[in-house]
Amino acid sequence: MKHIKILLLLVLLPFIGCKSRTDNHQKKMAIVVSTLNNPWFVFLAQTAAAQAKSLGYETKIFDSQNNTALESDHFDNAISSGYGAILFNPTDANGSVANVMKAKKAGIPVFCMDREVNSPDAATSQILSDSYSGCVDLGKYFVKSTHAKGNYVEILGIVADNNTWARSKGFHSVVDYYPGLKMVAQQSADFDRNKGMEVMESILQAHPDITAVFCGNDAMAMGAYQALAAAGKAHNVKVLGFDGAGDAIEGIKDGKILATAMQFPKVMAQTAADYADAYFKGRRDFPKKIQVGVEMVTGDNINDYIAYGKKQ
Amino acid sequence: MGKKIIKYILTLLVVVFIAYNSVYFKKLSEVKAAAAKVFDPAAYARTYLEKKLLPAANGAPDADALLSQMKNKPADGFKTNGHALDIGNTRYFMVKGQGMITSIDENDVYLTTTGKNNLKIATEYIFGNALRDAPGIITVNDFTNSMDLNNVAAEVDKLVRTEVLPPFKSKVKKGDNINFAGAFELNQEHLNLSNIEIIPVALKIN
Repeated sequence: MKHIKILLLLVLLPFIGCKSRTDNHQKKMAIVVSTLNNPWFVFLAQTAAAQAKSLGYETKIFDSQNNTALESDHFDNAISSGYGAILFNPTDANGSVANVMKAKKAGIPVFCMDREVNSPDAATSQILSDSYSGCVDLGKYFVKSTHAKGNYVEILGIVADNNTWARSKGFHSVVDYYPGLKMVAQQSADFDRNKGMEVMESILQAHPDITAVFCGNDAMAMGAYQALAAAGKAHNVKVLGFDGAGDAIEGIKDGKILATAMQFPKVMAQTAADYADAYFKGRRDFPKKIQVGVEMVTGDNINDYIAYGKKQ
Repeated sequence: MGKKIIKYILTLLVVVFIAYNSVYFKKLSEVKAAAAKVFDPAAYARTYLEKKLLPAANGAPDADALLSQMKNKPADGFKTNGHALDIGNTRYFMVKGQGMITSIDENDVYLTTTGKNNLKIATEYIFGNALRDAPGIITVNDFTNSMDLNNVAAEVDKLVRTEVLPPFKSKVKKGDNINFAGAFELNQEHLNLSNIEIIPVALKIN
């Protein structure tokens, strides 16, 4: 009889848990970010937290360390701890869908920032950079700067992230029209500065005769520049990044980086927090997707920009 | 004995419950139909160009009138004629007009309009979102996948590159009078009217 009672308890336990989760939403926002090992995401997370706090919410930042399993744990924690909304920067466009669905099932809205999940219905709203268009502009500038000829390298971000391919495809949608430009290597460095340096070092062994490097973010661009400088090639190779991070802005001023594309993490983070606030207040009609424009930064307009945005 | 039967029944119930919630069935025809519904950006771009973009170009503001508005009342100009899918500073404008070709280089043809405004029309770098976004017809949420939206812009640009430009580029010369229609972009925060480059959708040498 004792065993039967335990068995029944085990069967009923998950349902009891679900009930308590949905009824216990408090005025708290969880901020789950893919990594805090990159200053850009630190800025995104801190801006979201600051905006949420200014609106009167308790916040906590969770670092997924680019690991969807850890991200899943963070969602479990956020749900069971009574967070009423999740401001989310996903690790994996496909792998993170299950986590968003988990929150949705628990009645918790999820607002994606900067990176999207591959599901039209999972998140309440997705506020994303228009990475593709930013890289179309970078591609045009790349073609003009190289006079449409030479060998070049592309260093990609995390291969499971949609932004990686949006940036790559935007760039190639222009550059591939010019047969004089030959991509001799394309390799991922996971949006990481150290990996960017290692990948560039390795590629230089096989392809010392390159004229340019296009990187999927500024951290990798700075890493690639370090490798080029160490090999004595920094002055001969043009380096392009993406993000508008502080060291890339300084790098453009110093002539180390040719160009980057400025994202506006402040706009994305504040919009996500504002939307979550509106959700708490009863709004339900959110656009499924909003794109935030990206602007190309070069030596010609560098004085209009600072790290992560425009000069006020 | 009685306890054993209850135990078996309960175990069976748990197994059935788990199995029922683990497996679902769909009609094969529905799955096949969903798989076959692949978005075709080239076809979409063709229909968009013919049914929406060209009519929008016909109804676009005249270049001289639009430029005058942007010089004198830029806020009104951005509000009434500018469109974009993104939050941000970039806005796209449809425009049409007439002018005389003053010079030609590898990237653009330069012209002076009848109202004495200097403009350039791109003939090499036909890329970006101007033609997709300027009429303000397409929205982000018309597409479930962002890449479909991006591919539409690329395919519209490709149609211009392969069909609109070749007959024009092969004949145009300095001194020609032309009719043009297209789209251009402006940055609301850093407004610069001296370097406008029109991405064409219709070009006619008179």
